[in-house]
Amino acid sequence: MRLAFEQVSYSYAGAASRKKKAGKKEKRQADWGNAPGEVWALRNVSLTVEPGEFLGVAGHTGSGKSTLIQHMNGLVHPTEGRVTADGADLVDKDVAVSVRQRVGLVFQYPENQLFANTVYDDVAYGPRNMKLPEDEVDRRVREALLLVGLDADEIGERSPFDLSGGQQRRVAFAGVLAMEPEVLVLDEPVAGLDPLSRADFLALIASFHASGMTVVMVSHSMEDLAALADRILVLSEGRVFALGTPAEVFADAAALKAVGLAAPAPQTFASALREAGFPLPRALYDEATLAADIAAALGCGDGAASAPDGGGGRG
Amino acid sequence: MAVGDRAIIGQYWPEDSLVHAMDPRAKFLLSLVLMAAVFCAATPVALAVAALFIVGFYGAARIPLLQAVGALGPLIILVLVTALLNVLFVQGGQVYFEWGIICISEKGIQSAVFIGCRLFLLLLGMSLLTLTTTTLDITAAFERLLAPTARLGVPAHELGMILGIALRFLPQFMTELGVIYRAQVSRGARFDANPFKGGMRMLTALMVPLFASAFRHAETLSAAMEARCYHGGDGRTRLDPLRLTWRDGAGTAAVLVMLATVIAANFIPV
Repeated sequence: MRLAFEQVSYSYAGAASRKKKAGKKEKRQADWGNAPGEVWALRNVSLTVEPGEFLGVAGHTGSGKSTLIQHMNGLVHPTEGRVTADGADLVDKDVAVSVRQRVGLVFQYPENQLFANTVYDDVAYGPRNMKLPEDEVDRRVREALLLVGLDADEIGERSPFDLSGGQQRRVAFAGVLAMEPEVLVLDEPVAGLDPLSRADFLALIASFHASGMTVVMVSHSMEDLAALADRILVLSEGRVFALGTPAEVFADAAALKAVGLAAPAPQTFASALREAGFPLPRALYDEATLAADIAAALGCGDGAASAPDGGGGRG
Repeated sequence: MAVGDRAIIGQYWPEDSLVHAMDPRAKFLLSLVLMAAVFCAATPVALAVAALFIVGFYGAARIPLLQAVGALGPLIILVLVTALLNVLFVQGGQVYFEWGIICISEKGIQSAVFIGCRLFLLLLGMSLLTLTTTTLDITAAFERLLAPTARLGVPAHELGMILGIALRFLPQFMTELGVIYRAQVSRGARFDANPFKGGMRMLTALMVPLFASAFRHAETLSAAMEARCYHGGDGRTRLDPLRLTWRDGAGTAAVLVMLATVIAANFIPV
């Protein structure tokens, strides 16, 4: 499914009055500054989430990331502009309801939304809301739990509140996966996890993407986004600051810093080395490739040999 | 929920004014007197006098009156319903409209307008307290005013603390309820669908996570309070001790003048 944002603006104040304006045919451009009382969370955001891609969303706190992703399944509607799923406008209630079955939204700290008596019932909540037959629900619950590394027979009858934090998050994750969404939207999926579960979760998300699922992931970790995302969207004060491949977005570290973000450490180090005269050909570096290229550059023994002292980047 | 420049009922409206600077204890008691004054108004003239005073108090508090009325929000409906009931149940004088058991008469309209205005003024008067006083100050005032009853075994400090914590966590729970609601809607819950069919299950999907979060907050909060050596009210001092100043004298005088004027206005023949 292709999710398209067309000139989307969202204002907290305007949400209530939106319905009144819905009848008007003319497209009203948002006038910034005309209404000082209004708080705009998104301003003229246009982008398309392509089927099968991994879109990373980055931005400083309050840049509109959470508001943006809540537009993706019609939880909130744009004050101006529109969001479409395969051409159908999400402002239509029936479209939004059907899109919610195809776009799985995992909120931040999803374990806080567990409510059922048993793990099984909690995971089955979504499929049952979709009015699926019980044997299909059973299949989906088992598969979803298996996907997140849990066994329905072993854990299904336990109360979700008795599980550890990491397991609770897996169960909450399974609750969304059981709806078998085409697009998985994740808000800070690894926030508050220990390093080991963090790596597990990121591998899990990467495997969903590898299996053909479209993934949209909001994250504060530029390293995670650089490693996983096909494209990265950087929001700043509700506007699209940058949208492109990790290499494109992280090329200008100074500009990112101006909007409160930092490029991944290896990338920052690489650009510092490059300024000091190191020949570093790749556009995007992680620790391993950077180490290999530095070794190669030093091995060549050209004029750059004295440069490492001048690097000054964050290792 | 209310983001931007909009007041909501019970919310604090930050401003630098005489009323804001008054002692919360004085404001607490004076708002009771203010209520009494509004109840004392038995004629339209007296009610108008009370309205003038309340408008004056809002002026002294530098709170835009329109904002304050808007902040009443849903409570306005309460006023309207009360007025409507008066129209229907108070009979007498000339009859304007009669249909079955519904009968609208002169007295009914008069009493509806009068009671409606009185209730409206009452709400405005009460919200002056919450608009100009932070919840922290209100609980402190509540606690201090209850303090004499502590000798009779009333746990004044504990009641104040409970009130304070409850007020503090209301907006928190509203926010969390919003997130839980949206999360369950994302999982296909339809709260706008038939509330009688599967309504209970919908409610559990909202209330269980909310209660779980309330218990989590309670545990964290009690641990945090114990870590800072909280041991109840004995010997506890305040960072900003409550002190009566000339403003409280002036405020008391103003409210007492209002009470006296309103009572006197009752005797002005219409």
